[in-house]
Amino acid sequence: MEALEMYTVDRTSDVYTEELRLNLGPQHPSTHGVLRVELQMDGEIITAARSDIGYLHRCAEKIGENVTYLQYTPYTDRMDYLASMNNNLAWSLTVEKLLDIEAPERSQWIRVLVVELNRIASHLIAFGTYGIDLGANTPFFYAFRERESIMALLEKISGARMLYNFIRPGGVANDIDDAWMDEVLAFCDDFDKRWDEYNRILTNNHIFIKRTANIGILTKEMALAYGCTGPVLRASGVKWDLRRDIPYLKPYDEIEFDVPVGMGTHGTLGDCWDRYWVRMREMRECTSIIRQAIAAIPDGVHMEKKMERMYKTPLTPEPGEAYMRCENPRGELAFYAVSEGGKSPIRCRARAPSFCNLSVLDKLLPGTMLADGVAVIGSLDIVLGEVDR
Amino acid sequence: MGILNNTLPSNIATDAVDGVIGWGRKSSIWPMTFGIACCAIEMMAVYAATFDLDRFGAGVPRATPRQSDLIIVPGTVNAKMAVRVRRLYDQMAEPRYVIAMGACVCGGGPYVKWGYNTVKGVHKIIPVDIFVPGCPPRPEALMDGILKLRDKVGQDEVFRRRSDTAKDLERRYGMIK
Amino acid sequence: MNESEIISRMREAGLGGVGELDTSAADPFVVIEADSLRAAMLFLRDDEACAMEMMHCVTATERKASIEVVYHLCSYEHHHSLTVKVICERPEGGTHDNWRPAVPTVADIYAAANWHEREQYDLLGVIFTDHPDFRRILLPQEWIGHPLRKDYIYPSEHGGIPLELDAIPLYMEGGEEAVAAKKAERPAGEPLNQPPSKYSARPDAGGKAPESSEGKVNNSRDSAH
Repeated sequence: MEALEMYTVDRTSDVYTEELRLNLGPQHPSTHGVLRVELQMDGEIITAARSDIGYLHRCAEKIGENVTYLQYTPYTDRMDYLASMNNNLAWSLTVEKLLDIEAPERSQWIRVLVVELNRIASHLIAFGTYGIDLGANTPFFYAFRERESIMALLEKISGARMLYNFIRPGGVANDIDDAWMDEVLAFCDDFDKRWDEYNRILTNNHIFIKRTANIGILTKEMALAYGCTGPVLRASGVKWDLRRDIPYLKPYDEIEFDVPVGMGTHGTLGDCWDRYWVRMREMRECTSIIRQAIAAIPDGVHMEKKMERMYKTPLTPEPGEAYMRCENPRGELAFYAVSEGGKSPIRCRARAPSFCNLSVLDKLLPGTMLADGVAVIGSLDIVLGEVDR
Repeated sequence: MGILNNTLPSNIATDAVDGVIGWGRKSSIWPMTFGIACCAIEMMAVYAATFDLDRFGAGVPRATPRQSDLIIVPGTVNAKMAVRVRRLYDQMAEPRYVIAMGACVCGGGPYVKWGYNTVKGVHKIIPVDIFVPGCPPRPEALMDGILKLRDKVGQDEVFRRRSDTAKDLERRYGMIK
Repeated sequence: MNESEIISRMREAGLGGVGELDTSAADPFVVIEADSLRAAMLFLRDDEACAMEMMHCVTATERKASIEVVYHLCSYEHHHSLTVKVICERPEGGTHDNWRPAVPTVADIYAAANWHEREQYDLLGVIFTDHPDFRRILLPQEWIGHPLRKDYIYPSEHGGIPLELDAIPLYMEGGEEAVAAKKAERPAGEPLNQPPSKYSARPDAGGKAPESSEGKVNNSRDSAH
């Protein structure tokens, strides 16, 4: 925060002015948790920003070094608590890579199904809270209505509303039945209608477009340099999706889906509206993926009998290391586990997408108005549980 | 005298001051917008349409501690955040109430053994009225906690004084920076 | 390109200090000497055939004999990735208290590395020299120690905030006297036993002696459960 050190006061004009240091957060309704941003303000314009994180640091990596591989799955739930299934998946794939095993085919399709459902739920929160940030309260209630349906669906198969611990190394915890899949299909049909409703109330709202277009422009070069991933990167015009480019689950190879990228519809490429619109279109892709997955799901087992036997004693992978990247709703989550042959890894690193996406905030904020700064923070869609871990 | 003589008009009810003020307080609880971790999402679900906390008069969260009288602490409090939680609590006007939501703030939760910087229960920092366990608690559980709090608020003595005020604590420990 | 082609290309460009590709792990990695790290990173980013425009992750790993800093790089253009390691050997008697390895920063080459390096300093005490903004990132600035080291000893309080399960609450029934009496039983500020006391390198501070008699860091994971 170099600019902060140079405390410049203009004494030449008749009106006495000075720059103001403003503290935003950690308890602030629009910082999406406990983010704290130190701002230097010139009137209403932000001249410098420095984000301060760590208010939700929960020692997840230390815990990972002390519990067994299987016991760590619930802790991954609590990192990105809006997309627990995706985090379970990333950790399970990492352990499977260490053990050099592959989950049965049916379980891979079940994984795709639940992960995409959770992606919709996560983007719904982004949509609803973004509305609140910008002064529109109604979308929040619409978003939570559909989110409750997804939670009810996932609760039926996993037993928990938010933190599922459902995808485990070697498969998934429970099998799913046809009745459940019919409910999911019914939800998808319903959701597509609701999605048009969302666009009527928020996306094409004139005030909303004025508040978000041309605000917080993230160029492609900057997004790449700061390691932004997910919708934030795609909104800057990079057509990159791990699911399509490096399919980490077999079904993603067979399923047809589009990767939405930002187009600068209402302003410049990479502005807040683009990031919002990429998320909205991704929800439609998710329902399409879910429909295809339900049509193609094969018969089989949800977890190998061999694996269930292995669960009775702690897993002990061979010495080695594995780095596994997965496409989460917020970007690429990667786990890096180093094994020395023991019951728990000696290093368990999570590369959190929100952490990297947030690091660009200090560069995006200067030059915008304070009210637009809130729009920028909301459009990055961070989860502090994942930023701080 | 009106009561004794039984000369009050029929549209006037009488009660003890405690009862009337307690009834007023419990029917208009103003919680604070305060989210820390996973439990905050379930708290948001409670405010949203499906569960609709407004039925109990507690559905309008205020964004500042000075306007609110209930702080729901939803999520793990760590060493860095604990100072802020204390400060938020101190800024609230009496009477103020605290609900500890989730296993982490009830006693450490999943981070109790290996968490080097987590506070094992928010009751170490501020006095807690209601504990709502669960990881995260279901919305119904939080609603039950708020209903329990309503009962507690209704029975409060109006002219009471909490033994430990924030000022006392600051003098004693000097921990607030 | 696969990893071995990238490495042979680095050698052709005359980069020194590039080791052999280790393919024993699930992800093959290459060890680079700390002095030539920056040159190698610049080459990997700017070379057209490599085009590693993305610093995915920076990790520091503590092992028995070393702390290794691991860089995961990947390319969107060519869909390939590379794992680069810098190994800092543990000096004789190097522990949490007296040893902090130093590695040159790459934060000016990859902006993404800025926060990752700060985090690794915060949690493992790896010094990234010439870093533009070298502070703690997750823990409070005045925090003592680097918690992800194996011989880290857990604090019992931080700045007056109790961090133990059986700590005395700041508010208590009975008022000031009750708190004072409780505090007299065990003074605050006394460091806690780290839960796996076997890892503790400091028998005097931990209260319970570690089982390894040499007093060195014991990385054996069998004692975790």
